[in-house]
Amino acid sequence: MSDKKELVSESVPEWQLELDRVGFLRRILLARKWYKGDWWFVLISGIMLLFIITVGIFPQWFAPHDPREEVGPSLLAPGEETPSFIVLAGSDSDAIKFADIAGRKNKVGYIMGSQATQAMRDTLDRLNTQAEEEGIDIIYQPRGGRYETIDEGLEDLTNGKLDGFIASEEELNVAETDFSNFVRIDELRSSKADSFILGTNQIGQDILSRIIWGTRIALIVGLSSALVSFIVGVPLGLFSGFIGGPVDRILTLFMDSLYTFPGLILAISIAAVLGAGIGNIIVAIAVLYVPTYFRIVRGQTLTVKNELYVKAAHSLGARPLKILTKYIFPNVLPSVVIIFSVNVADAILTEAGLSFIGLGLPPDTPDWGIDLARGQDYLRRAWWLITFPGAMVSCVTLAFSMLGESLSEILNPRLSEL
Amino acid sequence: MENKTKEKDILLSLQNIKKYFPVQKSLIDQIFSKKIEYIQAVDDVTIHIRRGEAFGLAGESGSGKTTIGMCAIGLEPLTEGNAIFDGLDLTTQSHEELRKLRKRMQVIFQDPMASLNPRMSLGSAVMQGLKIHYPEKVAEHRDMVITMFEKVGLTPALFYYNKYPHQISGGQRQRVVIARALITHPDLVLADEPVAMADVSVRSLLLDLMVKLKKEFDLTYLFITHDLATAKYICDRIGILYLGKLAEVSTVKEVYQYPMHPYTKALLAAVPVPNPKKRRTEQMPKGEIPNPINPPSGCRFHPRCPIARPDCAEIEPKLRELRPGHFVACRYADV
Amino acid sequence: MDRDKLVAVKDLSVTYQTRIGPVSAVDHVSFDIYKGEILGLVGESGCGKSTLGKALLRMIDPPGEISNGEIVFEDKDIMQYDDKQMRDFRGRKASMIFQDPMTSLNPVQRVDQHLIETIQVHEKDVDNASALERAGEMIRKLGIGEDRMISYPHQLSGGMRQRVMTGIGLILSANLIIADEATTSLDVIVEAKLADQLRDIRDEFDISLLMITHNIALVAEMADRIAVMYAGHMVEIGDIYDVFEEPLHPYTAGLLGSVPNIQFDASEELYKMPGEPPNLTRPPEGCRFHPRCPKAMPICSRIEPAMTEVEPKRFIHCWLYQDHPEKMLRKG
Repeated sequence: MSDKKELVSESVPEWQLELDRVGFLRRILLARKWYKGDWWFVLISGIMLLFIITVGIFPQWFAPHDPREEVGPSLLAPGEETPSFIVLAGSDSDAIKFADIAGRKNKVGYIMGSQATQAMRDTLDRLNTQAEEEGIDIIYQPRGGRYETIDEGLEDLTNGKLDGFIASEEELNVAETDFSNFVRIDELRSSKADSFILGTNQIGQDILSRIIWGTRIALIVGLSSALVSFIVGVPLGLFSGFIGGPVDRILTLFMDSLYTFPGLILAISIAAVLGAGIGNIIVAIAVLYVPTYFRIVRGQTLTVKNELYVKAAHSLGARPLKILTKYIFPNVLPSVVIIFSVNVADAILTEAGLSFIGLGLPPDTPDWGIDLARGQDYLRRAWWLITFPGAMVSCVTLAFSMLGESLSEILNPRLSEL
Repeated sequence: MENKTKEKDILLSLQNIKKYFPVQKSLIDQIFSKKIEYIQAVDDVTIHIRRGEAFGLAGESGSGKTTIGMCAIGLEPLTEGNAIFDGLDLTTQSHEELRKLRKRMQVIFQDPMASLNPRMSLGSAVMQGLKIHYPEKVAEHRDMVITMFEKVGLTPALFYYNKYPHQISGGQRQRVVIARALITHPDLVLADEPVAMADVSVRSLLLDLMVKLKKEFDLTYLFITHDLATAKYICDRIGILYLGKLAEVSTVKEVYQYPMHPYTKALLAAVPVPNPKKRRTEQMPKGEIPNPINPPSGCRFHPRCPIARPDCAEIEPKLRELRPGHFVACRYADV
Repeated sequence: MDRDKLVAVKDLSVTYQTRIGPVSAVDHVSFDIYKGEILGLVGESGCGKSTLGKALLRMIDPPGEISNGEIVFEDKDIMQYDDKQMRDFRGRKASMIFQDPMTSLNPVQRVDQHLIETIQVHEKDVDNASALERAGEMIRKLGIGEDRMISYPHQLSGGMRQRVMTGIGLILSANLIIADEATTSLDVIVEAKLADQLRDIRDEFDISLLMITHNIALVAEMADRIAVMYAGHMVEIGDIYDVFEEPLHPYTAGLLGSVPNIQFDASEELYKMPGEPPNLTRPPEGCRFHPRCPKAMPICSRIEPAMTEVEPKRFIHCWLYQDHPEKMLRKG
């Protein structure tokens, strides 16, 4: 059996032999020379999508915080440092951190209306939670003392009425009292981190974490609805195109009427009828795209049906089902690949649109659309609320579109593979 | 008519077959005119093809040769008449029975690129016949395909097995098509202009292959062509068609050397000869092939015929045996 | 320039830039076309004959281009012409008839409009009446009935359309007609009639006809000289009787041997040429035919031969007819 050893033969042209000899990897590299721009597009978008999908599957690895948790002050700009509050104690006090003066018997002062209380509360929560976890039987709950001015508070601190005083840097600066009697023992922050890369929204949630977790939702909805559309639309299109006749006409009429609805409006109607929930959103968006798959597949089927190789299959004695699956479907498939990519991109956009309006996902879900909706009022003040979710939508949409377009260029069997 | 003494020898018998195609009418015509027009593609043709022979059907466009071929193997329904394959009347077969008969009647098409599924590997394409008609022999399929590849000259077979149509040359594709047609060891092979699209130097190889395979597999060919020169190298008998009717039928030697029908004479004279010393001197018939929707009355060739007489426009000529085994449909043709 | 020569092509090369590299579709081809002759240019698919025909009218589109050579038409090198001069040249001096008349004729123009437009584009001061008259004359000459003047292309048969195409080619009294597979799509009787007509036209107008075709038998019927191309090279050119009597190039011999002959006097066996035409992005070294040549010598795989004039007006591109010091060397 003359195998791959040395396929030299009179009848086989040299170039065909060579193409056969190169391995898979080499072929991919050779493909670069062949497809040029498209090859790069596929590579770049492929890498982007791989990354995006990884983020989507394991958001917990990438997101620094819980997306629903209030982790910082509201409307903190990207990179801006969260305000911190200084804990002052008397210079004769032997406290070295806030926890030392935070017991039940302690009293800590602050200025009326200051954010310091928030910081203190958050810190106390954390300390208490930690104590509970560690099983230490301490409760941190100092009494609070309100003061109108900083100097009054500091006076009480000096004469021992307070164990500590919390104030921000600005608040301390207006004090006229001499600070030589005091010691800074600690710094409190109301949030979990010094700063947030992409800032926080009005509730105080970390935007970065939200958009990372939003990836998961977007991908789930996008891919699922595209998949559902595909599974429903493609077989219908194949069947309709293949069988022709009145069945075909009726189906086409139905699909065309569905197709004429403006996409978002149709989705809204269906979502409104079905109600909230991620499953219903997927269905609503899926319905949107079924006519597109149907039309394209049906059109292709009609063309391929009349090709000579289908006639040849018929003359071989193949059954209609076999002709449909082995001859027509594989030749129709390339045209569908690009639709699928664009479909996912569009589904993500539509889902964002639906959430934007308020239909679909529960309001606190970390979702780009929801974030966009909530952020629109803050466009001037806090641009980062909508910029980053918006950028994510664009990026993912772009990546899918790029992949689809360039892949379809490559997938068509070029007639001259030299 | 034809000598039917040895009935067992006849593999395919087409008896008085007619195939008319209705002309598509626009909506307005459909409403206002009641008459449906027909393209009379094939009109009362009778042919008996013997087992083991290569029967050629030659003609120009509109002659009906491809239509006869399609009807002969049951791929097109007949308007009238019978197609009897090995004793079985194809018109009375059910869909399923006809489908099963396919393994005994195969087709080689003209355009190898178009008749191969671009998404199917060559090995897979050739295997289709086996998968459809001999599914129980699955274990042997691959070996049978490889053997067939070798028989058609696609060696090393394993090299070509996984290739796709766009990766090989035109001549090689036609070999794949031949392999695909012969894999089920059919009795009858309809070859519809099988070498028309191949280069000249490849044609001779393909024709040679087809002749060789005919002997080896004990095949019967129905060879459709417009190229009379090529037909000479592969056909035993040949029928000349004009506008859906048979003008002349006999062995190739007879028809080519003693043509009697005026059309056959013109057709043979028109074929260029690759020898500058033998340039054509004969005149070509005037006019062009008429519209098959409204063919001329009587003898269809009469408007262009150099020896036409008045009654040729009224009486349709029947095939007459003017020489042994040599039939001509002309009232005034002479030996 | 020889007073008999109409066109002298010298060292013409046409290159296509493809994804995998440059393809030399026509490689350093030189030949002449004489006045009033019918030259048949034959070869198999991919040999470059159509490309050569197009190159003569400088109708090569990107990614292809004429990369080398000159085309001297009546003493002028048309490679030097600018766009305006080329437009004038095409139609007036040389014109082309294509394979598929259905797609080369304008479906929304009638026959007479086609001809009139052709005239008026080149001769701006001709009025409609005289143009119509000339068109009518041409129609009559070509044997198209006058009632067909007002027909549209889809109302005509294939043969008719091809005649209209011929008419367009001739109406400006061009000296050279290039017929690129002009009869390939026609039935054999129609083809014969058109061939007769082209020959009559040549006789009457003394024009030259370059017949590009893969139908070698047709060339034998019609041509005065024959040129054979293989893989971008012209391998043999000479008088039709001489070449058919004794083809000197091994490819020509093989090619002629594989042409089926309807008559019974010739040998009953067809020659079977081994191998396949080469891939033009990586053509064989030396003579491009050598892998398939039954008479290949060691030198053939290393150095490309030159076009040698073995007899007057008989050129062969082969080491069998050319001397070279290395020729006697053994392999290795």
